[in-house]
Amino acid sequence: MSLKRRDFIRNLLIGGASVPVLSACGGGGGGGGGDQAATPGQGGQETGNTPDTPEAPRTLRFIAVGDTGSGGQGQYQVAAAMEAVVAERGCDLVLITGDNIYEAGVTAVDDPQFLEKFEYPYQNLDLPFFLCLGNHDCASTVFGGGSDNQRGDYQVMYHYSRDRYSNKWHMPARFYSQAFDTSRDTPFLELFVVDSNPLTSFYLDRDENFNWANYGYPQQTWMKRAVGKSQAHWKIAMTHVPYRSNGKHGNAGDLDAHLRWMFNNPDADGLRYKAFLEECFADRADLLLTGHDHSLQWLQPAQAMGRTELMVSGAGAKTDDFKDASRNPVRYQNDSEYGFVWVELNEDSMTTVFYQVSPEDGSVRIGHQETRAKPVTARVLEPA
Amino acid sequence: MKRREFLSRSATAGLSLGVLSACGGGGSSSPDGGKPGTDNPGTGNPGQPGPTPNAPEMPSYGGPDPFQHGVASGDPLANQVILWTRLTAAGLDEIPVIVEVARDATFATPVYQGVGYARSQNDFTVKLDPLLPEPETTYFYRFRSLGFTSPVGRTRTAPAPGAQVDHLRLAVVSCSNLPYGWFNAYARVARRADLDAVLHLGDYIYEYAQGEYNDADLAGPRPVDPPHEIITLDDYRRRYACYRRDPDLQECHRQHPFICVWDDHEIANDAWMDGAENHNEGEGDFADRKRAAVRAYYEWMPIRMGFPDRDMRIYRRFDYGDLLTLVMLDTRLIGRDPQVDSPSEARDRNRQLLGQDQRQWLFEQLEYSRGRGARWHVIGQQVMLSPLTLGTLPDTPNWDLGGGAQLNYDQWDGYQTSRRALLGRIEAMALDNTVVLTGDIHSSWAMDVSADPGNPLVYNRFTGQGSLAVEFVTPAVTSPAAPSKALSDLARAALVPLNPHLKWVDLFHRGYLVLDLTAEHCKADWFHLNTVSEPDDSEFFARSYLTRDGQNHVERASQPSAPKTAAPPLAPATQGIKP
Repeated sequence: MSLKRRDFIRNLLIGGASVPVLSACGGGGGGGGGDQAATPGQGGQETGNTPDTPEAPRTLRFIAVGDTGSGGQGQYQVAAAMEAVVAERGCDLVLITGDNIYEAGVTAVDDPQFLEKFEYPYQNLDLPFFLCLGNHDCASTVFGGGSDNQRGDYQVMYHYSRDRYSNKWHMPARFYSQAFDTSRDTPFLELFVVDSNPLTSFYLDRDENFNWANYGYPQQTWMKRAVGKSQAHWKIAMTHVPYRSNGKHGNAGDLDAHLRWMFNNPDADGLRYKAFLEECFADRADLLLTGHDHSLQWLQPAQAMGRTELMVSGAGAKTDDFKDASRNPVRYQNDSEYGFVWVELNEDSMTTVFYQVSPEDGSVRIGHQETRAKPVTARVLEPA
Repeated sequence: MKRREFLSRSATAGLSLGVLSACGGGGSSSPDGGKPGTDNPGTGNPGQPGPTPNAPEMPSYGGPDPFQHGVASGDPLANQVILWTRLTAAGLDEIPVIVEVARDATFATPVYQGVGYARSQNDFTVKLDPLLPEPETTYFYRFRSLGFTSPVGRTRTAPAPGAQVDHLRLAVVSCSNLPYGWFNAYARVARRADLDAVLHLGDYIYEYAQGEYNDADLAGPRPVDPPHEIITLDDYRRRYACYRRDPDLQECHRQHPFICVWDDHEIANDAWMDGAENHNEGEGDFADRKRAAVRAYYEWMPIRMGFPDRDMRIYRRFDYGDLLTLVMLDTRLIGRDPQVDSPSEARDRNRQLLGQDQRQWLFEQLEYSRGRGARWHVIGQQVMLSPLTLGTLPDTPNWDLGGGAQLNYDQWDGYQTSRRALLGRIEAMALDNTVVLTGDIHSSWAMDVSADPGNPLVYNRFTGQGSLAVEFVTPAVTSPAAPSKALSDLARAALVPLNPHLKWVDLFHRGYLVLDLTAEHCKADWFHLNTVSEPDDSEFFARSYLTRDGQNHVERASQPSAPKTAAPPLAPATQGIKP
């Protein structure tokens, strides 16, 4: 379902006063304005949800794409492929795993890059996008060193901006959780979004508000509690820097092993970040979705992460060769094409389709398709 | 269920006979009701004991006193403490042992009676875990069997986790190698009536053959049994039995509850998860040896088996009111990767000292401890956390360089990722008042704990600023380090300038430390011995360092802490030590 440009502008004008009003106009948006629970796709033809009949099995579809914000041909090719898949298979929301704006984020809430690298490329995708911050969103140089975390705040402000081009951009806070399909006692899905940059940046941020004691650990405590108390049937965590990856950035705990000599942040190897992810999400989240490496990877579960499935979806505009394709065992991986992941969540299973987009001609193919049982079944009891 | 059957079941589980009679003879009682810890101590074990229980039938016995290895207690909780003894009675098995606990040494005010059984399958050791009425209370206990009565033991429950506690005192010991000296340190600790508990940080026994690691002059008076290196279950049992014959060790156990963790020599020198320096293929499968060692440890030490299906797990926590959370770690067997001997391997990010589960557990305990408002978070463990180098340099993890030239890769220096993870967590939590207690190294150390002590931008050696915690290392009971005081002084003169976080070290004297905890300070008083070459009653105050609330670095104190006011009386002397 795509809005015509004219309708879009109209919606914007009518709904400009409030994001929830806007989404009620059929803009497909999530309930956005903050931490309100969202029920995306209500009334949308592509969703099978019928909240009025509680017995019906629930389902929810989303696309996960990452490292998108180039504003270049790759991003447009992937966006076009997403449109085709949305039309064919349906979709309720889009998750962007960070690096929303290359190369060094935005420096104002009215930065034109919001248009060039988000609104225009996705203007035909009439879906709510939920985004997390990547290192390039918090960088002060093209290198993506991540030493300017404050810059990420503009991306949060854009969520609340009344002057934005569409209502699609959802980033109510730097780290947040968002429930979906809350029509019943328990949400069908809850999304947990981590701000990984202050935890792993290449270069130290001089702003002490973003150090581990003031930001990293409080975020960890908040996240652990949020996941622990969540009653959602599905729990999905999203963060930019991978827990495991066969790409150049590598595994948390030993990130950027070959580049690290250039960095000055002693946390650049992600040792503390690794424990963060394990403590918050291991055996709690069904899926940990990451980006950062410009490839698609579905990794085999890691022992310290329990049954939680691990994915890297960072090929939304760029590709990078694997550094060590066999570093971690995978269910599927591809480093030569753009791509994204389409996921359908059902009550007991998860269907995942990896779409690959050719950088040459933008043609789309399915790289991998698999249906698996819901990874995490039992609710993990909190230690006494 | 038959009465006798029930009796034996409840007795093995440490259920009090008082409870039994209180529920009308026990016949209708739940057969699995003997699980300690699930019963409510308030109702399950009234302050006044029930009617005198029917004593179990004793086998006929005409031999010598079966209580040859003394009594012991340990792992105190608010309403529970492990009581231990062993019976030596040739030809008998399944020997009933009655235990009595009272508020006084004359047993005029009994609070508990129970029955345990000495069985060959447990090497005739008896362990009970009675429910006791009052937290933070000194109790006296004794065992009776075969017409004999054991020496009177003395123990103390921990304060209730939420209780307000003003003052705690713990003795900390390690490295008690019997053939290397007399256990004068144990004798001195035994006499301190105001201790809440004794922490033994491991190397409680040594595995070596007679003459392999000892003071040759003491080979006559202090031989070990068995005379060969211990490998099998029988060997380990005999070695514990040999040590437990020592009167000073018996006396120390008799007077205080112990909280113990093993180090390497309870298994074999420089042990790790799947091997040890002092283990070779000719000695069989290491897993078998480890199992044997662990089994004998549980039989002979007054430790609570918290996880019967995971007996390898001894890391555990004790809450001492609002003043102290005590976390005891296993840096040896549960998760340690093999030792390496180069700085680059020591930095290998895949190597672990604690293992994933224990590390996460430890982090949770720190959060729990702060969450419940405990003043001090004390970590009792084996090997030195702080670096020991010949020149501490700034650490640059991104270059995998720095830190300085480490001397001992068996300690945390050899597992730098594990240390960074722990210190990184303390730093991230901005956690105040973490105190690390260490044994293993046969010497006395007072140190600040910094993530990067060689970097003046991170840690100021003169003010202690930047320190995240403090570390106190207890000397050996007998095992040696420097051969002379002069060499020790020389080493100190060299090491202190080279290690900015190191404030004091003594590599010569044997002894122990007393940890004194109040709301204002956590203070370590080192007491050293003049000799372990002969039985000797003397000790002297060596040094004292403390850390104040919120300070996170050490400062020297001139005097040892004052003893507790109104310390409960020691258990009365026994009529001489048994042959």
